[in-house]
Amino acid sequence: MSFTSVGFIGFLAAVVVLYYALPKKCQWVFLLAASYGFYMAGGVKTVVYLLFTTLSTFVAGLWLGRLNARKDALTGPEKKAQAPVFKRKKQMVTALVLIANFGLLFALKYWNFTASAVSGATGGSVILPQLNLLMPLGISFYMFQSVGYVVDCYRGKYKPQRNVFKYALFTSFFPQVVQGPISRYDQLSPQLMAEHSFHADHLKYGIQLCMWGYFKKLVIADRAAVLVNTVFGDYTSYSGSIIALAVFFYCIQLYCDFSGGIDVTRGAAQMLGIDLAENFRRPLFATSLADYWRRWHITLGQWMRDYVFFSLTLSKPILKLGKWSRKKIGGTLGKVIPTATATFVVYLFIGIWHGANFRYIFYGLWNGAIITSSQLLANTYYRCRMKLKLADDNRGLYVFRMVRTWILVFLGRYITRAPRLMAAFYMMWVTVSRPVLSDLWNGTALTLGIARMDYVIVLGAMAIVVAAEFFQERGTEIRKWLEQRGFLVQWLAILLPLLVLLVTGILRGDYISSEFIYKQF
Amino acid sequence: MREKLMEILTETCPGVDFETETALIDDGLLESLDIVTIVAEIMDAFEVELNVEDLVPENFNSVDAMLELIQSLAE
Repeated sequence: MSFTSVGFIGFLAAVVVLYYALPKKCQWVFLLAASYGFYMAGGVKTVVYLLFTTLSTFVAGLWLGRLNARKDALTGPEKKAQAPVFKRKKQMVTALVLIANFGLLFALKYWNFTASAVSGATGGSVILPQLNLLMPLGISFYMFQSVGYVVDCYRGKYKPQRNVFKYALFTSFFPQVVQGPISRYDQLSPQLMAEHSFHADHLKYGIQLCMWGYFKKLVIADRAAVLVNTVFGDYTSYSGSIIALAVFFYCIQLYCDFSGGIDVTRGAAQMLGIDLAENFRRPLFATSLADYWRRWHITLGQWMRDYVFFSLTLSKPILKLGKWSRKKIGGTLGKVIPTATATFVVYLFIGIWHGANFRYIFYGLWNGAIITSSQLLANTYYRCRMKLKLADDNRGLYVFRMVRTWILVFLGRYITRAPRLMAAFYMMWVTVSRPVLSDLWNGTALTLGIARMDYVIVLGAMAIVVAAEFFQERGTEIRKWLEQRGFLVQWLAILLPLLVLLVTGILRGDYISSEFIYKQF
Repeated sequence: MREKLMEILTETCPGVDFETETALIDDGLLESLDIVTIVAEIMDAFEVELNVEDLVPENFNSVDAMLELIQSLAE
């Protein structure tokens, strides 16, 4: 059931009405039933995978909780003596459930790619069978969320959930199960279990956020998608300027598609009185690629930081590497090498998380290499800035850093959208070697599937998004600003985007709706 | 101990006022990359072993909090 379908809007309206009409004690049970109903509407067979992840991580959590409790019950020297035994047992439980779940994810998402790569590398002498399995909706999101819960239980961050149904709601909550955000148990579960009274404000804020999300998705992203698909589908037929235009439109499409989807997710949850984690914080204003990743898909970045980066940095091989580099190389470089190594691995993982192909592996390496090199050169940059007598908050420097980040992100998008890695390199080459700038105004741009008016709508609507984010970046809270405007303006803020949606989006005869991009991950 | 820690901190993150700041993490003055560099230095300099569980904002928000952490690990 797509968020942009009339069916979903009807489903959400029915859930909201029944949720508040039911006795408060039953609210979470109803949400669980609604969540599984929503998930199964997208396919009944794949619910098995969701159940497997839910049950395996639930049992692991209970097991780890029991081991933690037994260890905590000991005192004095016995506690000290038994600590390594408990640690080993906990490591075994965690490893078991991680291998089972990531093994399943590997089989579903990465096996066919690995089999093809092995076959290609051995010249066809080793042929591994291809698996014909159904890819479950949102598996990378709910699996990461559940694995995070297990690691937190391992670390003793909180006590595990003892009720399997309450835990099942945490893994399957319908607004977020398809494309995140990747929530934390201690932040989301208490909200899901709490009894919620109806508040008109929750409903109003939720609808506003959903409308904003639909505006980004239906008015901007889906329209930009037509041009992007046309050019990338036949990339050898276009000049460099048209390819660059398509990449630019893809940047717009991807941001409005993913952040729009997350707005709908958070808006739907807000109608139920539940605050989901923020997943975007105006990435357009990022001043470095590392800063960009702190603002884009925030919950994935935080997951990688807490469960991969920290663990990796404090692992024995990296600690050994650190000792060696500080002793043998010394200086800033010696200090930064272990952190930079862990950073590089994390960005490689982020790339691979997106999908099984060489493009995403290269995308991970691309991000890892740039961010790692900026860590290694941080002190050089600092000294340059001191020599130039530029303050860190210098406006010109800020703009320079922003533009530099845009260029790096822009180049990265060639890699993620091109049909193959070599096609991405080809397109980059054509952009610089055969730009033919006149293609932008000689009518070629009007043969790419969208009309002149569509360009006006995409760029005009994007200007509204950028303006809104500019004010947010400067500290203006648009909702609070709206709150002070009075009833009429507040509802106009809902009805006006709705009107724009209807006129420029879904009511148009030639309107083409496309699926959310991140749903496939 | 304090002097040694201050030396590590100012070398790792020049330009941050460690003497007076009490919300180094919450205010975004220290990032995860800075923390792990500081952690590696602390482990080396004070011969203590930090775990991933210790990497929480409360332990790194101020110099005093870091000193407290080092002392508890040394015990």
